[in-house]
Order: sequence, then structure tokens, then C-alpha cells
Amino acid sequence: MPPFQSVFKDETKLDINYVPYKLPHRDKELRLLMEFFSFELQTPDRMAQRVLITGDVGTGKTALSQRFGTDIVREATNRAVNLRYIHVNCREYRGNLFMILQHAVSVFYPNFPKRGYSAEELLGTLSKVLDDENVHLILALDEFDSLIEMEGSEAVYKLTRVQETRQDKPQRLSLICILRNLDAIASLDLSTRSTLQSNVISLQKYDKHQLIDILNDRILLAFKPTAVPEETINLIAELAFSENGNARFGIELLWRAGKYANAHDQNSVAPECVREAVSSIIPSMRKSDLATLGFHEKLFLLATARLFKQTQKASISLAEAEQAYTITCEETETKPISHTQLWKYVKTLSALGIIKTEVSSTGTRGRSTLIYLPRIPAQELEKELTALLEKQDT
Amino acid sequence: MRNLNVEDVFSSRLRMKILKMLNQVGELNVSEIARRLGVNYKTTSGHLKVLEDEGILQLKVFGRIRLYRLNERSAKTKAVQNLIEIWEKTDK
Repeated sequence: MPPFQSVFKDETKLDINYVPYKLPHRDKELRLLMEFFSFELQTPDRMAQRVLITGDVGTGKTALSQRFGTDIVREATNRAVNLRYIHVNCREYRGNLFMILQHAVSVFYPNFPKRGYSAEELLGTLSKVLDDENVHLILALDEFDSLIEMEGSEAVYKLTRVQETRQDKPQRLSLICILRNLDAIASLDLSTRSTLQSNVISLQKYDKHQLIDILNDRILLAFKPTAVPEETINLIAELAFSENGNARFGIELLWRAGKYANAHDQNSVAPECVREAVSSIIPSMRKSDLATLGFHEKLFLLATARLFKQTQKASISLAEAEQAYTITCEETETKPISHTQLWKYVKTLSALGIIKTEVSSTGTRGRSTLIYLPRIPAQELEKELTALLEKQDT
Repeated sequence: MRNLNVEDVFSSRLRMKILKMLNQVGELNVSEIARRLGVNYKTTSGHLKVLEDEGILQLKVFGRIRLYRLNERSAKTKAVQNLIEIWEKTDK
């Protein structure tokens, strides 16, 4: 048996919990966050801050907050300021304020009892712990929506107004609330809302080029040089973009595609590995969808699948697909249909989610349509279609 | 502080167990110490008080929660920690 060769250099860099040193396309937001909390480094006793970070899944909310947390704590240590950053995922604690605060206190007192007192007492305890240890705390509440959903205005109000019950004492507790959008905030009462909504950092979804930059950064850290070709990166970025600009999805796909490349004993991650990876994440191909296609739709798709299999490319042009379709027609002794009709079929296949089309203007002669096979491994598709066409013949 | 004789402090099996326990886990509240010892709250509190008065233990109160830990600043505590560690190393 030949020695095992992996495409990975360090796959932990693709782990969901890994926070990269550099966050591409989030520099502005990171600087803004640092600006909001700059008082922690200069006059930490005099104020506390509340910041909301919003954005869709995979827009980098958690990574941004954690990167910021690590950076500001390091800076505070250099300036002899006792600052801690604690990141809590509220959903993990079922949106329960008591359990969330319990987690924060346990960072300082790991054996703090888990029962026998109220959430309000625990909030008092947290303040006392911070006083005793002379610590300033930035508490990041990830998936903040679940806390609002479970506990409502009262809990959020208590958290944001903790300082009001400790007049003339140093301010110690700042909050970063991370949530998908501001809709959840709307359900809070007016006074709670007003304490929260003054500083909002809204993360926009990544575009395809930004996703390519993110993927390239991770590839440098996680893969051996030249293990991931540009075609593959483009395909993953395209898929992540179609999943609402979800970088997390793209990174997971990258890892999974690497696993498929290893399993097939390949030394690089081909676009076909990505398709296999996608079909393992999303049950993408419904056989009934293929069965309902017309004869020429099946033939065209078969030709496309074969071309993807042969070329190992991420996308092919409509002209290339049409050429391959003509050859498949010759094989089956069928007269090819017109270009216009074929174009209609391409639209149907795209609407079904089997293929994806994009208009490209990078060619030398005007615009051309590019066809992607994003979700289904070409080999699998070819096998299914051949079986269906044989059945149709008999 | 009462300043008991060394034999009075260490003559109790439960007090030695408390010291070993806190040396191992850091800090615990009274109920949890009682649960781990398998004795009632009152007995546990009594022993903890003796060790606190001797300056070997340190008490932190958070509302109703009373947390005990070894008093790292006390020379007596350091001697106790040494004793336990050397004893357990030799046992292995």
C-alpha cells in the first residue's frame, strides 16, 4: 500500500472554531469595534459600552467579535489593564440568563455552585467577582436572539442597567450582542431598546470576490501548496455566494472537498470533489426531478455531465455544452434540437437547481453563458441519466 | 483567630479530607463540600470554621453562596500543601 498523502497541511485551520489572525474584508468593522471600546484601554472605570453586531449566517459576526476580543485583551495586558473577554453562545445555554451568567462566573470560579440562587443574585455575584478581582469584562452574547426569545425585555434590561444599582463604583461590564438582524430587538420594550441600539455594526453579505479572498487565505494556512486549483476555489466561492454569501459554508465545503480528494488518493482538490462534498451536505439530486425531464433535456444534461467529467473544469460554456450535446445525439442517432429550444432547456434545468448559469463577459468576443454543475457529482449524474435513457429505450 | 495546637487541627479525619479536597479542586461551596464528604451541612461548617480561624482557609461570600479555598498567603497553608503533595507522591 503506498504511503498516505494528504492534501492538507493543517486541517484545524478549517475548523468552525478557528479564528484567523486576519479577517479579510472586515478591517473597517474591526476598527470600528476597537473605536467603540477604546475607553477600556484609557479610562476603563468610567464607562461601559453596548454594541450590536448584526449580519446573516456566515458573514463573520462571531469571528469578528472573537478576533476583536483577543486583540483588545492583548492590548490591555500591554497597558496593565485587567480586561477579560468572554464569548457565550446564548443558544448553547437555551437562551437562559441564569445559565449564561453562570458560565461567565465559572470563568473566574470554576466550581461556583450551579443551583440555589436566582439570575438576579447571579448578576450581583458577577459584579462582585469583577470588583474583587479588579477586572473589566466584555461579555459577548452570541445568538442574542435566543436570549430575547426566552427571557424577553426584563433580562436584557437587567443586563444593560447593572451599573445603575452600583452608583459611584467603577463600571465593569460591557456587552457585545451578536444577532442576525434587528427584528428580534423590536420585540423589546422601548427603554431596553434605547439602551441597546445606539451602536450597531451591520455586516453585509460577502460577494464572490470577497469569498475567493477568504478561501485563498484559509487555503494558504490549511492546504499544501498547489493542492487547490483556481477552478475549485471559483466553484466553492460561487456556491458559498449562492448560499447567501455564507463564508462558513464555503470553508466547510473546502474542508469536505479536501477529504474527498484524500479519499480518492488525489494530490489536488478537483471541482468534482467539491460536487461530491456538496451532495453529501445537501440532498441535492432528486431522482424524480431527472425522471421528469424530456428526452432531449436528458441528452443535453448527459452531454454536459460527460464534459464536466472529462475536463475537470468548474464551468463550461454553453457553446461547449452544445457541441457535446451534438456528439451525444450522433451516438443515439437522434436529430439535435435547435439552439433556441436548447436555451429554453438550459433555463428549465437551471430553475430545477440541477445546473447553474452565469453570463460571462471575460471572453474576447462579447458575452457567453457559463454552465456550472454545482451540486451533483458529474459521474453520479452520468450514471443516473444513462440508466434513465436506457429504460426509456426499452 | 483561636490558634489551636497542631495536633488539634490535624486530629480530625474530616478536616484532613477537606484540605485534600480543596488542594485538588481549588474552591467549593459549603453544601458541595458536605456532599462530597457525605456528612451534614452543620458538621461541615464547623470544620470549615476551625480551618478558617486558623488562617488555613479563606472564605468568599457572594450573597447566599459561601466559597472556601486554601489561603495561599498563609505559611500554614503552604506547609499543609507540601505535606499533602509529598505524602501523595511517596504513596505512588
